[in-house]
Amino acid sequence: MPTWEEKLADRIDPQLAAEIDKFETEITLRKQGKLDEKVFAETRLRRGCYGQRYDNGHRHDGIRSQELHYSTDLTKGPETLWDAPGMQRIKIPFGGLNPDQMDVLADLAEEYADGVLHVTTRQDFQYHFVHIDDTPAIMRRLAAVGITTREACGNSIRNVTACPLAGVCNTETFDVVPYARATAKFMLGHPDAQNFGRKFKIAFSGCRQEACGLVNMHDLGLIAVTRVENGRIRRGFEVYVGGGLGAVPHNAKLFEEFLPEEDLLPTTQAISRVFARLGEKKQRDRARIKFLIAKLGIEEFKRLVVEERQTLQADPRWTEYLDHAHQYTEKPLKPPTLLNGQRRPEGFDAWYATNVYRQKQAGYVVASITLPLGDLASWQMRELAGIARRFSGDSVRTTVEQNMVLRWVSETDLPDLYRDLMRIGLGAPGAGTIVDVTACPGTDTCKLGISSSRGLAGELRTRLAAKSYTLDEAVKNLRIKISGCFNSCGQHHIADMGFYGMSINVGNRKVPHFQVVLGGKWQDNAGAYGLPLVRVPSKRIPEVIDRVTDRYVRERAANESFQDFLKRVGKKDLRAMLEDLTHIPPYEVDPSFYSDWGDPREYTIGDMGVGECAGEVISVAQFALAAADGLVFQAQLHLESGDFPNADQLAYKAMLQAALSLVRVQWPEAPDEAGTTIQEFRQRFFETNIWGDRYAGSKFAQYLFIRHSAPPSHHTGDHAHRVVEEAQLFVDAVYRGHEILAERGTR
Amino acid sequence: MELCRFGIKLFAIDPAAMDAKKFVPIFHSWIQKQAVEKHQLIDVHDYSHIHHGPGILLVGHEGNFSTEMGEGIPGLVYFRKVAAGTFEDSLRASLKAVLQAADLVEADPVLEGRARFRRDELLFISNDRLLAPNNSATFEGLKPTLGKVFGAKAGFTAVRAGTRDRLTIRVTGVAY
Repeated sequence: MPTWEEKLADRIDPQLAAEIDKFETEITLRKQGKLDEKVFAETRLRRGCYGQRYDNGHRHDGIRSQELHYSTDLTKGPETLWDAPGMQRIKIPFGGLNPDQMDVLADLAEEYADGVLHVTTRQDFQYHFVHIDDTPAIMRRLAAVGITTREACGNSIRNVTACPLAGVCNTETFDVVPYARATAKFMLGHPDAQNFGRKFKIAFSGCRQEACGLVNMHDLGLIAVTRVENGRIRRGFEVYVGGGLGAVPHNAKLFEEFLPEEDLLPTTQAISRVFARLGEKKQRDRARIKFLIAKLGIEEFKRLVVEERQTLQADPRWTEYLDHAHQYTEKPLKPPTLLNGQRRPEGFDAWYATNVYRQKQAGYVVASITLPLGDLASWQMRELAGIARRFSGDSVRTTVEQNMVLRWVSETDLPDLYRDLMRIGLGAPGAGTIVDVTACPGTDTCKLGISSSRGLAGELRTRLAAKSYTLDEAVKNLRIKISGCFNSCGQHHIADMGFYGMSINVGNRKVPHFQVVLGGKWQDNAGAYGLPLVRVPSKRIPEVIDRVTDRYVRERAANESFQDFLKRVGKKDLRAMLEDLTHIPPYEVDPSFYSDWGDPREYTIGDMGVGECAGEVISVAQFALAAADGLVFQAQLHLESGDFPNADQLAYKAMLQAALSLVRVQWPEAPDEAGTTIQEFRQRFFETNIWGDRYAGSKFAQYLFIRHSAPPSHHTGDHAHRVVEEAQLFVDAVYRGHEILAERGTR
Repeated sequence: MELCRFGIKLFAIDPAAMDAKKFVPIFHSWIQKQAVEKHQLIDVHDYSHIHHGPGILLVGHEGNFSTEMGEGIPGLVYFRKVAAGTFEDSLRASLKAVLQAADLVEADPVLEGRARFRRDELLFISNDRLLAPNNSATFEGLKPTLGKVFGAKAGFTAVRAGTRDRLTIRVTGVAY
């Protein structure tokens, strides 16, 4: 039987081929029982092969937990069955694609996945429902068109992202693409980037003020800048380190105002070495570089990197791409033209208004293709490849808003392009508007998902699209981003209106909820993070959107931004406005609250078992938890007003109060005293692993322990912000802790 | 040719009856009952937001079912992923699975008997560009086995001429 390995042998870069061969051997060894499941798990992750929901062989079907039967008990990682479908992530550096690559991506989605390509919030593609045995063939076929999955997951340097407008943007300093490409290539498989405790994300932006690469939320973010030296313009980068979203967002710190271009790669290498050497390895939740920088301080971190840089052996690859970078230009497919008086198809103007960007090169535009929930069918991708060949050539990009763009479209081609996009169902307007909701996979496929982010996103998209023509201009350009859990893959922190999923017990049932996070800033490279306001049942989130946007339209001052409006109104008032939406009708009155969007199953009810006596204790616990909630909210108000010491203190008290609520489940007379609460909480719930989040482990408990043992010696906005966020997550986790106790009936 | 990745699509008689969203609870109920023989049904995925996409997908280990809207023609499609022996064995198993699924849909009270599928005509879609590239040699090579399973009087016409497309064969006069 022919194989892809034989067929594509002469079309695959030998290094990539060897890498795939190695992985295929590891698959064989694992099947023979000669490779440990944990080792195999890490090795497959580093090739982008991720686990998927239910891969432990169990799934709750709405009535009971079913065991999923496969032909083998073999595992591909702890609690991860070999035959269970998985996810394959595919790295697309700076989102850059050509039509040949698009064709292959389409073919693979059909043959090995479910016929759908999903664009992620980091410009990757993902296939879902892939069998691990098929992954070497997928990798070979991708490699034959210059795409790799290597280090798409795992503790490695992930996809290097960049602004999709790089090279054609009106406000960029210079085109960052050659630098993003060189960084991705240089660091791929680099020995200095193989021993990280956690992942490492790099982003490039051409300018400071736009959203572009979202530099502020990356481990390493680079903004193009120039300097005049001796009458000559020098290219370089403003460098930021230690940003990140995750459960608690961190603002990146300025590392260097001007890093000359020739120092980009050696500095990236030196940062990698310092991170690999000093970064946390055991405690995963403290292992991102942001924690190392917070621990060392930016000046000490910088000193270490500079010192490390001086020890590096010179590498010709550091600079050999620079000549090319300076000469780099994209060759347009067609000559520039202007859109003058041509007949425009129906719907064209609305699409043009939101989906077309005029390039700095006169006569050319960038056309955005709005992908609902970041998805497109394989046949659409194939057709899109054909459309790209006709209108834009090799200059296609994926975006962090889960869309795609065609660049270098000659303006007069726009009506024809629009007709073609409409023909394949990809001509919807609304790119980058409130309709264009971003969401992570959530409970659809992610093992960590708590609520249905895609279900909610789909619902909001449908509702908002229906009234998009009547929406006020001020609202149209707001952004909604949704994560299925606190981990922020949907980037909820940087949305005007963000949401992250959680579950809350009501009686003996669970209700899917979302925490409402308002006031994040997408512009200025993810310029500000929003703060949690209130948790609302999933089914009432559309009402949250309506109320907040209606009030913004009604009460905003002239040209007042959404963020300024929120600040002026204040959290207290905003929360009061949404308070009634937190109420949940009893199941008997409205069971729809007890299932999630797009999923008719009752929301994880099957495992519940609550004793009579627990009911009483629950009410006491809920009372205490409500008090903790109130303290977090007060802390947020202080944070908002710039009173950082009080924000910190109240956030700490909220954690103590929440911990005490758990302690009092087992010891009702426990005194309200910090030392005792910590000690009892540690002994009863932390050390016994009763409370540890299945995936987050002890992360949230550590927030309390660390704050208790090391109160801040001086108060900063950054620190207070972090402690308030941590307190919110800790309280959320204590809610889950109560659920665990209720489920076990071990109160 | 030992093909094991391929699909069979049954066309809906009344396209308007294929209300995608109604299939979400239907497919979930199939998982609860593990309603399709010799299949481990795993999960349901809603792709109804994709234009002419897979619609509602029921993921199984052996194969996936979906309310496919390919080329704007709704139907019930089954894509086989795991071999059930020879190509002929796999084809017979797949036909059985898609027919059983069609029976289940047609009998489901949620759809009030409106969703019905043609059995006399269907699409066979090869889903393996290595073993079965879209060319006349593959078409001729597949016909004998297709004839054995779909009946001696069945007619076969290759559709979708693009070489990047999967080889797709319209089968008429199907007799079981």
